[in-house]
Amino acid sequence: MSPSWKDNHTLFLSVVGVLAWLIPGAGHFALNERRRAYVIFVTIIVMFFVGLYIGSVGVIDPVGAKPWYAAQMMNSPAVFFLGRISTGGDYLVFGRSNEIGQIYTSIAGLLNLLCIVNAVYMAHLQVIEQEEA
Amino acid sequence: MNALSLTLLASFTAPMQIDTTPAAMLWLLPLVVGIAVVYKATKVSSIRPIPFAKETGVLIGSILVFITAAALILYGVAWFVNEHLPSLLGRPGF
Repeated sequence: MSPSWKDNHTLFLSVVGVLAWLIPGAGHFALNERRRAYVIFVTIIVMFFVGLYIGSVGVIDPVGAKPWYAAQMMNSPAVFFLGRISTGGDYLVFGRSNEIGQIYTSIAGLLNLLCIVNAVYMAHLQVIEQEEA
Repeated sequence: MNALSLTLLASFTAPMQIDTTPAAMLWLLPLVVGIAVVYKATKVSSIRPIPFAKETGVLIGSILVFITAAALILYGVAWFVNEHLPSLLGRPGF
């Protein structure tokens, strides 16, 4: 196994992982898994926006709810900007709306983490298959 | 920006009113659907609509059955601890 191959392999897996994090499903899309990518994209985006609709943008709280925010960040780096909006504005949310909104947005993020890992693994398998062919 | 866009954006700035009632548990259902769809999307070898829908449906049903079973068991334990255990131990209550 030459170092250059390993470097390219690592770069390829990293690009797929980053794509999958930037846009849910983009990692699978890059691997020509189009249907899988559409299903992942639609489901995760809908779950995330349902959570935002239920609890408002206030459920993204980088200051008072750091563990939830960490999970929400797995959706996309765009959550960082929503966190800035939430911190800068006056978006009070508490009670059941806050809980359900946080659960929806955080689980959407954790599911995207699963998809990121899956996309990287599929990319790895593709590279192995190409090497063996 | 037109009025519709502003209304849509505004709907994400104020939380919904959700009461602390048993009906609020129904918010679990869309979550279970989402989890099952994404999980199955990562697990199946290829996505074909009907087999995918069947597998997802089975997973949704399994999750709901196990959640219901867990809820019933926990309810039974709570009921026993609150209603019967104090008299068995000869204490007025917890």
